Amino acid sequence: MVPLDNYLVLSAIIFSIGVYGVLARRSAVLILMSVELMLNAVSLNFVAFAAYLDPNRVAGAIFAIFVITVAAAEVGLALAIVIRLFRNRATANVDEAASLKW
Amino acid sequence: MGAEQAWLLAAVPAGMFVVLALFGRLLPRKGDFLGVLAIGTAFVLFFFVLHDFLHVGESNWPVVRDIKWSDIGSFHLRMGIVVDQITIVMFAVITTVALMVNVFSIGYMKGEPRYWWFFAVLQLFAASMLMLVMADNLLLLYISWELVGVCSFLLIGFYWEKRSATEAAKKAFITTRVGDVGLLIGIILLYKATGTFNIREIIDHAKSGDIGSTYLFVSMCFVFLGAMGKSAQVPFHVWLPDAMEGPTPVSALIHAATMVVAGVYLTARMLPVFEVAHGTTLIITIVGLVTALLTGFMALAQTDIKKVLAYSTVGQLGFMFVALGCGRPDAAMFHLMTHAFFKALLFLGSGSVILGTHHNQEMGKLGGLWKKMPVTGTTFLVGSLALAGVVPLAGFWSKDEILAATQTWSGGWVTILLGFAAIMTAFYSTRLFIRTFLGKPLDQQVYDHTHESPAVMTLPLVFLAILAAVAGLVVFNGVGRALGFPGGITEFVFLEEPERYHIVWSLAGGSVVLAVVGIFFGAWMYWGGSLVRSTRAAEFQPRLYEMIQRKFYFDELYQGMIDRVVLGFSFVVSWFDRYVVNDTGVDGSAQMTGYSGFLLKHLQTGKVPNYAMGIALGVVALAAAGLVVRG
Amino acid sequence: MTTEVLWWFFAVLIVGASLGVVAARSVIHSAIFLIGSLAGVGAMYVFLTVDFLALVQFLIYGGAVTVLILLALMLTRADVTGLPEKVNGPQAPFAVLVGAGLMAILIGVAVGTTWPGNVGDKALNIPIELISQKLFLDYGPPFVIASVLLLVALVGAIILARQEEGE
Repeated sequence: MVPLDNYLVLSAIIFSIGVYGVLARRSAVLILMSVELMLNAVSLNFVAFAAYLDPNRVAGAIFAIFVITVAAAEVGLALAIVIRLFRNRATANVDEAASLKW
Repeated sequence: MGAEQAWLLAAVPAGMFVVLALFGRLLPRKGDFLGVLAIGTAFVLFFFVLHDFLHVGESNWPVVRDIKWSDIGSFHLRMGIVVDQITIVMFAVITTVALMVNVFSIGYMKGEPRYWWFFAVLQLFAASMLMLVMADNLLLLYISWELVGVCSFLLIGFYWEKRSATEAAKKAFITTRVGDVGLLIGIILLYKATGTFNIREIIDHAKSGDIGSTYLFVSMCFVFLGAMGKSAQVPFHVWLPDAMEGPTPVSALIHAATMVVAGVYLTARMLPVFEVAHGTTLIITIVGLVTALLTGFMALAQTDIKKVLAYSTVGQLGFMFVALGCGRPDAAMFHLMTHAFFKALLFLGSGSVILGTHHNQEMGKLGGLWKKMPVTGTTFLVGSLALAGVVPLAGFWSKDEILAATQTWSGGWVTILLGFAAIMTAFYSTRLFIRTFLGKPLDQQVYDHTHESPAVMTLPLVFLAILAAVAGLVVFNGVGRALGFPGGITEFVFLEEPERYHIVWSLAGGSVVLAVVGIFFGAWMYWGGSLVRSTRAAEFQPRLYEMIQRKFYFDELYQGMIDRVVLGFSFVVSWFDRYVVNDTGVDGSAQMTGYSGFLLKHLQTGKVPNYAMGIALGVVALAAAGLVVRG
Repeated sequence: MTTEVLWWFFAVLIVGASLGVVAARSVIHSAIFLIGSLAGVGAMYVFLTVDFLALVQFLIYGGAVTVLILLALMLTRADVTGLPEKVNGPQAPFAVLVGAGLMAILIGVAVGTTWPGNVGDKALNIPIELISQKLFLDYGPPFVIASVLLLVALVGAIILARQEEGE
């Protein structure tokens, strides 16, 4: 159907968009969403490799399962921190949480 | 006990040094008798060594004994002793004079502070000097060389409460240090060329032509620098007259008979190498000649009796170097021996005068002392005549041998100049004797309180006077053989071939004439105690007289050099140390670190996005680098 | 043929939705776009014949994670009035460069490398029995650890986010 390269390029694009999101946006929650995008791209990459190159071991798919699991756990924790941050400073902007400067 | 145990001669005084240094204060009489005992033992042991040496016969000379000292990788060092003819002569001189000086010091140093320390350092000195003349390798020789320098320093500065004494000690040490550095450089150069420190091996290497001639010339010049420093040859002579600040027995032992002749000994020992290095023997001769002449002049204008003898010593050392430069170590060692006896005698005699007149050394306050100090006067007369070279006293024979040696230089100019120096020697020794012992006393106060010295001091004087009288006779083959030697001293000590002694009547007659002329001139100038003629002579050419009296301005020259050159250079070095090393290097690097920290802290913005950017940039950079490297 | 067209449709959908996530003015809009993006990836999993994974993706991402994000957004709204504040941080331009560079490198490597094995053709069928077998047998330990991890995250989140006395 579609060659492997397509999947790889697609995941590369999603990953780069996620990187841009992490670096460029101000809202903490939005940064976390971009991280989710990146993790998705990675999972897609793994599963694509598993499907095309790895006949019997499906390690890629298993890996993707674990990635999804850990991503879910991590997002929960990260949002808890963001909520805490919001409670302390009444803002969810990462630019304004800069008290650990020199 | 044989010649192979000769190291005991040095070990006994060394051990006594330790005992006296640690316990001298607590011993009865502060241990002076122990000092005499130690040197006396060395003196007695010398006869055993001598007997054994003569016994084993010429085919077994020299007697050598060494031990393995160090074995590191490819570096092998053996240290040991060698007893040959030169060593025997030096042993005789050192043990005899050291014994006489130790006995004399019991009387002279009575009541002085640190009496025990004096004897301790005398022992250390004797041990080091004996080790120096026994050393079979240059390393051991250099160690002993430095040790005798240290003892000289300690003893010149014995009365360290006096500023002039400490200055003199410093001057002596620093001046000889300059020479010693030259010696060290020479030793290292020779080691690099031959791979050994052993003297006999170096001589063999040099003789078989293993060493390049320019290289050998340079290294031997450096070695000779060391000899010049220690033996106070021009231009290193400035320290010896100042060294008279030390107690007189020290002057007698170290600065007349033993330490200052270390340079002569070294040159004699290495003479085969000097002969191979063309040009060095000419340098040695010229240095000795210039020294003999200049110091002869300087002695004419001195009024301190010890200073006259100091300049005389330097001049006589010049004579010995001239002999060495002519390739006659036998003449040099012979003169070394006779000079040691009569110069030590003269110094101890002046010590007796100093003690007897209650510390007066200036000739301006002396005169007519013969009546009050007959023994001192008589022995002093013997010494002065020996110094002047009057037959049949010892000095005549050795000086004659040296004059004979100078005949190797064509044109006779060396002989003539040395003869002139000999005339001056006779002149100033006569002057010294007459102004001190004859004529009218110049200071009645001093004269009234003068007394003869005790027996402990006069007996060494008598013994040395006897030696000064008869020691010269060993030059005769018959006398030598009667004593057990294979012949006279010229047959005993030799460079290439033993030489039977025969008198050259013309030369001998010439030497007698020189001595007589000098004495006559001195007597004419100073007889009767009136200084009229001498003051007229001084006023005849006041500028010349002043130049001689100011010792040709050597001290002023050196002081100027130190002030300008040395201190100027040290100013540059200290500037470099302060501004470049300290401010820039040490302080600067610390400040650089602090400043870079100050600049770098701005990286810590505290903003998470900045840190995330850092991570992303790092990843991109690594990936790009990986791509570039892997293609 | 149709599957190819469908594939491209979903690919464009995913890219568009991702761009929406990072470019939207309002954060809520970004969250909605995220749902779209995640759903698109789930569809990709179907194309790769791992239906099980597609299911997991929809359930967990679309169900749990998105709801969690929306909850957090709700709790951290500073300006309910909706006054537009600046959306992009100060390093946005540079981020574009970094993102573009990264994309270039990744695409270059991916396309430029010859991957071993069966590349050009269609994906192989991956039966669910194989996945379950591998998951519980060969990768059993990581599975258990992952469950412990979830427990820890749960407890940690509770502790982090709870209200102290007096707040």
